[in-house]
Amino acid sequence: MPKILVVDDEEHIRLLYSEELKEAGYEVITAESGHKLIERIEAERPDLVILDIKMVDYDGLDLLQDIRNRFYDLPVILSTAYDTFKEDAKSIAADYYVVKSFDLTELKKKIAMALETRLPE
Amino acid sequence: MAESPKVFYEEENPQGITRAELLVAVPSFNEASTIAQTVERLDQGVREFYGDLDSVIVNCDNHSADGTRAAFLSSPTQVPKIYLSTEPGVRGKGANLRMLFHKAKELQAKAVVVFEADITNLAPYWIKYMAEPVLRGAGYVAPIYVRHKFEDTLNTAIVYPLTRCLYGRRVRQLNAGDCAFRGDLVDVFLNPPVWTAAMDQFGVDVCMGTLALTARVPVCQSVIGSPKRHRANDPFAQITLRFRQTLATIFDLMVAYADFWRIVRWSKPTALFSMDGHDTEVAPLVEINMGRLHARFLQGFEEYQPVWREIFEPALFNKVQEIRSLELPHFSFPSHTWALVLFSAALAYRNRDEAERTRVIDSILPLYLGKVVSYANRTERISIQQAEEHVEETCTIFEENKSYLVERWR
Repeated sequence: MPKILVVDDEEHIRLLYSEELKEAGYEVITAESGHKLIERIEAERPDLVILDIKMVDYDGLDLLQDIRNRFYDLPVILSTAYDTFKEDAKSIAADYYVVKSFDLTELKKKIAMALETRLPE
Repeated sequence: MAESPKVFYEEENPQGITRAELLVAVPSFNEASTIAQTVERLDQGVREFYGDLDSVIVNCDNHSADGTRAAFLSSPTQVPKIYLSTEPGVRGKGANLRMLFHKAKELQAKAVVVFEADITNLAPYWIKYMAEPVLRGAGYVAPIYVRHKFEDTLNTAIVYPLTRCLYGRRVRQLNAGDCAFRGDLVDVFLNPPVWTAAMDQFGVDVCMGTLALTARVPVCQSVIGSPKRHRANDPFAQITLRFRQTLATIFDLMVAYADFWRIVRWSKPTALFSMDGHDTEVAPLVEINMGRLHARFLQGFEEYQPVWREIFEPALFNKVQEIRSLELPHFSFPSHTWALVLFSAALAYRNRDEAERTRVIDSILPLYLGKVVSYANRTERISIQQAEEHVEETCTIFEENKSYLVERWR
């Protein structure tokens, strides 16, 4: 089953995403900050990353660039409380974004699209 | 494939350069008034950021008669220069760039950067923004210039949604006119599955971008932070020719790469290169003459209805008729309908000979102008960022409806 890494400094978000995505059939691992994120991804090899944009100690958009430069095709979905991040050009390196909500319908749809994405070898 | 002209009809290499790590190319035709300034700024950029690399600036010219060659060679630069020219009468940016590909191969260039000769606001740091991603591992780099929402609607309405949907990679300004690429990519550019007269001219930008996408090299977009200002700036100058050659190029490459794009599902972002420390400029205002474009849309029905009746399925044909009945203030051309129009045109193009293909392409031009009017109506009162969100929604609609194309392309 696909493995999803949820990166968010808010515990209730990590719990909510973890529970619901496991129920939807995914393996879920979590990280509470961007600390050593690249090494974590290297070690755990998730199939997709859900990345909080605004963490206390890390800028999600900077982390996104690091991920994209290191793992060119790894799907990343930005998770945010506001959509003003779109004014930052760095955001276009994300596959999709979702506005945080208790209803994860949109998130699950974007996860499915990202994991279905197919390019010739 | 079109017959290749002689590679370099003329070459002037005053410093006898035989090798270069960084090659900066400037294609031109009759650019004597702008090329010296362009080259001096490129020279400054190369020296400032890549003084440790063996570099060369190459003018790929269409045998200009206005003194472009002399202006280029006499411009005061420290970076060596090479002048190349096609034969007299051989025109087109694509013809220029084919000379570049040969020269880049000959010089064993590691990184190649291409800037158009008539950019009036080119800044030296643009060199870094385009070359650096290549030197860090990207195979192909497309710029992202600051643009007004009404600028380059050909790209917004056709090139971006179609190439993204077909080849699965989101390159926002594939048709920007400038690019950078890894030196070994010239082998791909020199051996395309098809090369047409359109690719020798306006089609070359989308051609190179598509070849890079299908070669599966890592693609990077570089956020320049500035608009791109040309000497001449009318967005609808030569629209018929640009439209015809760009769309024909996309369709010819669709035929050649059908096995590739039929597999592609959804799309992926690219890597991004941007540098802090430069303020983002404001896009200059671009105005659209809505009344004129709407009139041309309506005129299209007088000439092309028989073509549309032939190439569109009945439901689509009827939908286009419905759109015709909308008055300008309420004019709307839904993205779903637009996607099916382009998909249907591609299908028709594939199944026709050259003369009929041109007619198919020409029949889409008035519909494209209608789509531009619709887009302008939709985005007139919203911000550039909000307009971009609308463009992204359009692209998603293309991707969602791709099965319409795939199922019929057998």
